[in-house]
Amino acid sequence: MTQMTVLEALGAAMAHEMARDGDVVILGEDVGTAGGIFRTTQGLQQRFGPDRVIDTPLDEKGIAAHAVGMALYGLRPIAEIQFSGFIHDAFEQLMFGATKYRWMTGGQYSVPMVIRAPSFGGINGGFWHSQSPESYYCHGGGMKIVVPSTPQDAYGLLLAAIRDPDPTLVLEPVPLYRTLRGEVNDDGQAIAIGEAATVRPGSDLTVLTYGPLRHDVLAVAEQMAEDPGYDIEVIDLRSLMPFDIEAIIASVQRTGRLVVVHEAPLSLGFGAELAATVQERAFGYLHCPIGRVAAPDLPYGFSGGDEYYRPNKARIAAAIRNAMEFDF
Amino acid sequence: MANGTSTPSTPSVFAGQPRPAVAPLLERAADLAIAQVLDANGVPNGSLAEPDLSQAQLRIMYETMVLVRAIDEKGWQLQRSGRLEFWIPSRGQEAAHIASALAMAEGDWIFLADREPGAMLLRGASLQSLFAQFFGRADEPLKGRRLPLLLGDRALNIIPCMTQVGAYLPHAAGAAWAAKLKGDKTRFIVYFGDGATSRGEFHSAMNFAGIHRPPIVFFCQNNGWAVSTPTDRQTAADSFAEKGDAYKVRNLRVDGNDPLAVYAATKEALACIGEHGATLIEAVTYRLGFHTSSDNPDLYRQPEEVTAWECWDPLPRMRKYLEDRQFWNASAEDELQQRCQDEVNEAVTAAEAMAPGEPAAMFEDVFAEPTWQLREQRERLLAELETDLETNLETGA
Repeated sequence: MTQMTVLEALGAAMAHEMARDGDVVILGEDVGTAGGIFRTTQGLQQRFGPDRVIDTPLDEKGIAAHAVGMALYGLRPIAEIQFSGFIHDAFEQLMFGATKYRWMTGGQYSVPMVIRAPSFGGINGGFWHSQSPESYYCHGGGMKIVVPSTPQDAYGLLLAAIRDPDPTLVLEPVPLYRTLRGEVNDDGQAIAIGEAATVRPGSDLTVLTYGPLRHDVLAVAEQMAEDPGYDIEVIDLRSLMPFDIEAIIASVQRTGRLVVVHEAPLSLGFGAELAATVQERAFGYLHCPIGRVAAPDLPYGFSGGDEYYRPNKARIAAAIRNAMEFDF
Repeated sequence: MANGTSTPSTPSVFAGQPRPAVAPLLERAADLAIAQVLDANGVPNGSLAEPDLSQAQLRIMYETMVLVRAIDEKGWQLQRSGRLEFWIPSRGQEAAHIASALAMAEGDWIFLADREPGAMLLRGASLQSLFAQFFGRADEPLKGRRLPLLLGDRALNIIPCMTQVGAYLPHAAGAAWAAKLKGDKTRFIVYFGDGATSRGEFHSAMNFAGIHRPPIVFFCQNNGWAVSTPTDRQTAADSFAEKGDAYKVRNLRVDGNDPLAVYAATKEALACIGEHGATLIEAVTYRLGFHTSSDNPDLYRQPEEVTAWECWDPLPRMRKYLEDRQFWNASAEDELQQRCQDEVNEAVTAAEAMAPGEPAAMFEDVFAEPTWQLREQRERLLAELETDLETNLETGA
């Protein structure tokens, strides 16, 4: 066990895999000499050389597309996109290239690549530095998506993403990069993609969340636990595609109430898929409508974005109270 | 057009009308720095020396060109008679892709566009497997998932294209870069058209290739038209090749209807890998046929332009060259034409009789292991098919 920040855990996972597997390479803007603008890849080029930690031109589409070709040939590229607000240029390459080769070649070729995309708000970064692009990448098949928000999850899920035989998008929690430190068991054990973590067991209501808001949800749940009848179960999905349907349904069947919390805009956000899926499978167990706490359908502002756009603890608490006090 | 839709205020005199015919660029090959071995009559009078090819290799080159022409004619007929969904003609572009593919070694990787069936044949694909792909049959390498002519097979080191024109250029360059990083000797060729040079991925691939020098030939088949868009509406540059200059990617123009020049240029590009890495070849050719079976070129180009390019048809040029060298004669030609017809007809019969895929097979190959969502969706389809079967049995349908 080692004390690490989220950043250090991500770097440790990459270093571990690069040492273990000579086919793992990193490419992206400023990832080499500078070690990435966040320093996630710090020291890796010095250790593994410029052929394995590659500084690329400023071209997100090109980074993604060349990584696709490298993966087709048998490398395991980790492509870093500097901020997920800049990933959109690579969308076609990822969703109609990387994720389609296996299918379009009848299973003959695969694209085992990782796309690391620093994401989420809470850093006073304005729209292009505070995005939650997960919904775009859930649609149409072929992309796995993981969202770690603790040092251990960052380490274990990035290992899983690198070892996965299919393209995997890692949405990294920028606001937690340096602020969250914790024990990491850095023994090379991956965390299985598709498994949620029950962060706080509870009996009265389930909150499904992912990303940095997991910590806000947990704080709210702990606070509310002082009120009788407010024993809130908090589940961090950690993987969005596929997501842990068994854990979700088992929890909702026990609690009978569900609130989904995410930073992405409300309409067609991931919460919509969760709500639809849960009502299909656990309709008879629900005591109240499924609540959603999400951002409004507009851009994340520089001024006021962190305070009013991004879901805050008060909104999360209000949604929980609404669900608990719902009366037919 | 007939109803006079073009107005006096329209800036272009031919707006709404087919563009006035443009003479084949090959008529000014020397002025335009388009490298040639053969002149229009198949005589080696060009700027390039004849490549060192055996009689057997020359015959393979020509016979494959004739076979591809026969496939194209048959495919077109099948599409027009409703037996094939779609067709992408290769007529006129046989030399460009066949001679360049022939220059590659067997272990080299080929990234195809959509008018290069000859590359598959040169690597040993059977005619039946090609027609099985055209008919979308299950038992072909891509499981019948792609439109006709979007060909590929890992067993032959041939990768099918993404349908988005040119979007796969960095995939080829990335794979070549990977081979270089791994210390492999594998070389790469990627085919694309003139229109593809306008996409961002062309820029990405050239830019990366200039810096990292992967072992690749970027093979641009400039056939004059991107659907209805002519070269002067695709680029203001004097050539597609010169786009390589800004990226420091070695580049040249070659007569794409001259198989010997294409072969020589491709071989030279491969020989330059150590020094230059990538080469961008612009093969100047012409699409004699429709863009696809869904196109109507009468709307945008003049028949005279096509007729002028027929004079540069690569098949008679190559044939003349072979005949002059006593490698070929009329009886060999008759025998070849007959053999191609027979083999193509046999392949059509055999491929058409093959089974289409099972509906549930569409769930395969999305991920290495299907997600729970895909497993459930597959079960739902299977149940639906079961119900259909029962209903059909009850109603006697």
